[in-house]
Amino acid sequence: MRPKVRMSTAIAACLMAAAGGSSVRASFAAAVAPGFSYVKSSGGIDEYRLDSNGLTVLLAPDHSAPVVTFQVTYQVGSRNEVTGTTGATHILEHLMFKGSEGYNDPKGNSVKQFLERVGGQFNANTSVDRTTYFATVGRENLEGYIAIEADRMRNLWLHEADRQSEMTVVRNEYERGKNDPDNVLLEAVTAAAYVALPYHHPTIGWKSDIEHVPIAKLHDFYDAFYWPNNATVSIIGDIEPAAALELVKKYYGVYPHSPQPIPPMYTEEPPQIGARRVVIKRPGELGTVVIAHKVPNGRDADQPALEMLDAILSSGKNARLYRALVDKGIALNAGSATDLHRDLSLHTVYAALAPGATHMQAEKALLAEIDRIKTGGVTAAEVARVKQQFIAADAYKRDGTAGVAGEINEWIAVGDWTLYISFPQKVEQVTPADVQRVAKKYFEEDQSTTGWFVPVQQAEKGS
Amino acid sequence: MRSTIGAALMLACCGAWANMAAQGQRSQVAGIDVITDRTNVKDVVVIVGTLPAGDAMAESGSIAIPTLTGMMLDRGTESLDKFAISAQLENVGAEISFSVATQSVEIRAKCLKKDLPLVLGLIASELRKPALQPEEFDKAKQQFIGALQGSLQNTESRAEEAFGRAIFPEGHPNRPHPVADYLTAAKSATLDEVKAFHAKYYGPAHMMLVLVGDVPVAEAQAEIAKDFAGWSGGQDYIRPVKPAVARGPREVPVVLNDKPSVSVILGQATGLRYRDPGTLALRVGTAVLGRGFTGRLMGTVRDKEGLTYSISAGLAEDTIADGSWDISASFAPELLNKGVAATRRELDKWWRDGVTDTELAQHKQGIVGSYLVSLSTTGGLAAAVVTAVQRGYDLSWLDQYPEAVNALTRDEVNAAIKTHLDPKTMVLVEAGSLGAAGH
Repeated sequence: MRPKVRMSTAIAACLMAAAGGSSVRASFAAAVAPGFSYVKSSGGIDEYRLDSNGLTVLLAPDHSAPVVTFQVTYQVGSRNEVTGTTGATHILEHLMFKGSEGYNDPKGNSVKQFLERVGGQFNANTSVDRTTYFATVGRENLEGYIAIEADRMRNLWLHEADRQSEMTVVRNEYERGKNDPDNVLLEAVTAAAYVALPYHHPTIGWKSDIEHVPIAKLHDFYDAFYWPNNATVSIIGDIEPAAALELVKKYYGVYPHSPQPIPPMYTEEPPQIGARRVVIKRPGELGTVVIAHKVPNGRDADQPALEMLDAILSSGKNARLYRALVDKGIALNAGSATDLHRDLSLHTVYAALAPGATHMQAEKALLAEIDRIKTGGVTAAEVARVKQQFIAADAYKRDGTAGVAGEINEWIAVGDWTLYISFPQKVEQVTPADVQRVAKKYFEEDQSTTGWFVPVQQAEKGS
Repeated sequence: MRSTIGAALMLACCGAWANMAAQGQRSQVAGIDVITDRTNVKDVVVIVGTLPAGDAMAESGSIAIPTLTGMMLDRGTESLDKFAISAQLENVGAEISFSVATQSVEIRAKCLKKDLPLVLGLIASELRKPALQPEEFDKAKQQFIGALQGSLQNTESRAEEAFGRAIFPEGHPNRPHPVADYLTAAKSATLDEVKAFHAKYYGPAHMMLVLVGDVPVAEAQAEIAKDFAGWSGGQDYIRPVKPAVARGPREVPVVLNDKPSVSVILGQATGLRYRDPGTLALRVGTAVLGRGFTGRLMGTVRDKEGLTYSISAGLAEDTIADGSWDISASFAPELLNKGVAATRRELDKWWRDGVTDTELAQHKQGIVGSYLVSLSTTGGLAAAVVTAVQRGYDLSWLDQYPEAVNALTRDEVNAAIKTHLDPKTMVLVEAGSLGAAGH
């Protein structure tokens, strides 16, 4: 099971799999890596801090294959944007591939050229809470990638000509997303659910902001957030910890701590004082219903119970939503999920309507299943089944380094990477009473935002 | 047969990879081609299988039947209903899924080592003895119809359908049917047709099971022998003797309303299977044009001109039958003409002048490196094994592939481009809100 953080991927999607470990180890590397402070360990992952500039480093050795996944997570996402700069984090992520002082296309050593030449599987993506750059490479290419990644932390080229050409690239990414009515519906529901928090706007931004954000604003963004003390480096795979830390110090140790404090995001969401509804009408064939409720941040103690609730509602054919909606011909598929955020998160249940089913029918069925949990709770057998799934998922995590990195990345964004280890353990402690309690606590009608995608039939031509 | 997957080449290519060697074992068990490969992952086993019962096997019957048959597999067996099957899997965190592709039913499963007998037993029961109950059939039909209706509005799938129908002749296994025809067929499909299809096409002949990870080889083989004992039947894949022939230049518009991005495919049938001479050279040459961020298309049409978010080139559908070559991209309606012109410009230049020594060397290195990285997960290794065997290779191909790529010369690559492709006769499909582009 992984944290279900919605993200707007920037430059295509990529890898999968996992690795990890299970034992808590001593800080072996701290003793042989001067310049670093050992912070803590959990589940075979060690955390260090580079003393000179505050860079956080996570190491997870895994020698099952001669590959390494390296990623750097910046604590900046669309939550740090305001009107006029929505989507700026994501555009900046694109511009991070346009070259830096030491590594660029004219020199033939840019990040794209290097990683494709060595067969690296790489990408970058932006979410509401973070921006991440990562690659899985043969271990012999780790240093080459760290050097490039470190250079673009502070020596990025940010040229107006590049912004102009990349703006239309990002705009096409935005347009591709708008081809899918369900994406449009989810965007509308999210915008209605959040009034003040910047989660209100989509990570990719509003179209007019994508088109018009000036390069000076992007410079400001880069200079405010791309510093070692606002970043976490994760290295997972076939590494020796001391040697890996030396490489990190060699390339990232040249930078100072940010000259100014990282700008905080201090906006708080006001209380919701009534149910909200949105309707999207576009050409299409089948409708969709989404019901959202705001829930606490991803670190909150109630999140494991919400995770259990989501699994009981939507995992497998014995899930309640499958039995109540899919098996009864109301929905083609139905599910329940929580987007875990650094601040107030969003829980959604949804149903993709089956032919002949109505929106109201699906909405009533979704609400009835939520009410069943609120009034009748869940069974011990349902809870036990989900726990077994978490136990198996823990073993699946060990298959590959990129999957581990991807999951740790999301927990870094939420604000506590150790939840990668402890969250599944907390889910295994959840009781049926916990599930009923969180359902009662968070799924009030007055706190809901309901969205319908209503398809409009229009004539088509061509093949 | 026994082969060492990964070792030989990795030693020859770069020493760091030598430790990754995994042991592959291939044998016939209960008439099934069973391949096991142990890796360093602990407790986890991934299963991938294929069975020739895909959409192309519909022959002259209802085109909806192969997919509907595949959809019935996890809806109960003669001894367990679908909820009981699902409960057994959920109780141990295991997963089994079936999907229907052009020529095959694809089986995917993941479980802990201790649960392998359970999962193999369920796969066998679901394949051999699906319940095929009327009530479940009606539900499957409804869900299939719903999924088809959803795809009517998808620009990418509509473009792929139009492209496939434009380049593959009637009767070719890679020629797709229109979604509208699938809808009609699904509505009138009967359970008797599904039962007949299952009886004819589901059997061990030409079926493959690949198990990768912490596999207890002897126990797994014994379990498969027990679970599939006495099963017979099955059909071979459709292997056309005469390759498809492109019919000449044409443009195919597919108009969909209110789509801010147009899906574009430009390409042709190749007449080539993966193993045919020249195919690998064409693949490597195509990588120079359209692989990743450093291919020419991304470098120019996206990076320099900012016309698209995504553009790539590749070969497809050539594992069993002769396949296709295409460039796929997306453009805003108002940039469509400019984007297509830029794409054609790069295609023509690549076709006319070929690739350079530098480009070829860089992409060969990247292809081999990426391949080796992909083998580092059980899923990646299982996929590589299945693909290689479906293409008709033995397991040693997994070691030989990087050598084959590295051995290609620039002359071979450029000759393959010129010999097998012709930009002047390629088909252009545009799917989306074309009116906004002034079409």
